[in-house]
Amino acid sequence: MSTQTDTGSNALTAETFEGDLQRYLRGLGGLLVFLLVWWVGAMTTQPSYLVPGPLESVYAFIELFATSTTVVVPVLGSSLVLPTGLAHLAQTLFHYVPGLLLGAGCGIGLGLTMGWNGVLDDWLRPLVRVLRPIPPLAWIVFAIVWFGIHHTGAAFIVFVGAFWINFYGAYGGVEGVSTELTDAASTLGVERDLSMLKLVALPSAAPQVLTGFRTSIGRCWMIVVGAELFGAPGVGYEIINASNNLAMATSVAYMFLISLAFLCMDVGFRLLERRVLAWR
Amino acid sequence: MALSSDSSAGRDAREKITIQNVSRSYESADALANVSFSVAEGEFCCIVGPSGCGKTTLLRAIAGLDDPDGGSIQVDGDLVTGPGLDRGMVFQEYALFPWRTVRGNIRFGLDRPACDCPDCEARVRELIGLVGLDGFEDAYPKELSGGMKQRVGIARALAPDPEILLMDEPFGSVDARTRDHLHAELLDIWTQTGQTVVFVTHDIDEAVTLADRVVVMNAEPGTIQSTCSINLERPRERTTRDFVDYVAQIRSKVGSPVSTTH
Repeated sequence: MSTQTDTGSNALTAETFEGDLQRYLRGLGGLLVFLLVWWVGAMTTQPSYLVPGPLESVYAFIELFATSTTVVVPVLGSSLVLPTGLAHLAQTLFHYVPGLLLGAGCGIGLGLTMGWNGVLDDWLRPLVRVLRPIPPLAWIVFAIVWFGIHHTGAAFIVFVGAFWINFYGAYGGVEGVSTELTDAASTLGVERDLSMLKLVALPSAAPQVLTGFRTSIGRCWMIVVGAELFGAPGVGYEIINASNNLAMATSVAYMFLISLAFLCMDVGFRLLERRVLAWR
Repeated sequence: MALSSDSSAGRDAREKITIQNVSRSYESADALANVSFSVAEGEFCCIVGPSGCGKTTLLRAIAGLDDPDGGSIQVDGDLVTGPGLDRGMVFQEYALFPWRTVRGNIRFGLDRPACDCPDCEARVRELIGLVGLDGFEDAYPKELSGGMKQRVGIARALAPDPEILLMDEPFGSVDARTRDHLHAELLDIWTQTGQTVVFVTHDIDEAVTLADRVVVMNAEPGTIQSTCSINLERPRERTTRDFVDYVAQIRSKVGSPVSTTH
């Protein structure tokens, strides 16, 4: 009997390994087909700058790291010499990171308070209904007139985008706290509303808060590139700048760079999420 | 506390919980209508009745989680106005904090408002031993079976050393065999701690197995039909003549037929 289960479990691990391998091979196949279509498309399209080929794009990507560019760190005012690609990525991060963190912080803060406090919820709900549907990029006009289209302006746009996604994550999370858990906490001596928020509502809402934040990481990349197309410095600006010079391969190289940056952040955050939410 | 309980043991059953004319109505129906009874100190009291008879509402009212429309509930002569650490509650669906480990769940009540036990970690270890969860200190609730979850629920409720333990169909979701084990363990714990227990169930066998006294409730509106003292030695065998007689007697009192799983 025991040998049978042993072989059974071995067969199972072998099966899942085979399944994984098959999945990877299929994924690789999909990539290769895409590259082929891209390559053929690039070969046959005239004039050739319309669709830069894969190899050309890879060269352009490597080129981003062959030259260096000086960037000025905002606030600190010091300057950094970095490979060109990283320099522009850094410029983007100078408004992406503060916008994301501040927007997420304020959004989560308001979401938690509104979800927890019925009176505040009554006051603000109509306002939220009105403001929420406005696409963050629509605020670009105010970003420009208030802050100018530089780091602060772009950070403001990112802030708006991060704010709403995180707001809804936290709001929904707190609203979904089970009364059974709050009842249990009450019988265990939790008396003040603030303690209940800290000890029960917040940890119980954590999965949704974190999902909201992870979603905002991706959404803010879209928003930040949008803001930079209007002229804020960074990778988005470089995409349009390169295309103005008809250096489409360089535009593609920056697109790769954005994809890579997003992937790193997403994977990193997922790992963190898995650790924090080990209890799920 | 130990001194006063010693002296009270000599006296006849001091009233611990006094329920007077308690009424509670929801939009749809009267959940409780003029319910009055009392529970003696150290007594194991079971409340049985069909679903909708308000037994859970009554228990929640004693816990201070539900505010009755009329009447009063007193514990040691003090009016119940809200939840308190003197009354521990065990919930039907466990209500464990899923983000806390077994240890963290049990510890929860000890840290509110501030830890005043001389050695909280030792207290938590003692409780884990009491409910037989040694080795599972760092497990999260999702890793536990229903019976184990409820053991945590009981240990968590016991941690602040409440004088009253309120249990709302605590073993309704565990299988019959585990339930038998848990009954024996609960009685052991009760014998050791001498707490007053109010235990709500719809299972008459369970009530007769555990209780000193069974309170039978009727539904629509929730009222007390009768009470019945169970004068049987523990541990009780469900197959003995007396046991079966008690069950039959109580079943005949419950207005609508109540089916049991045994």
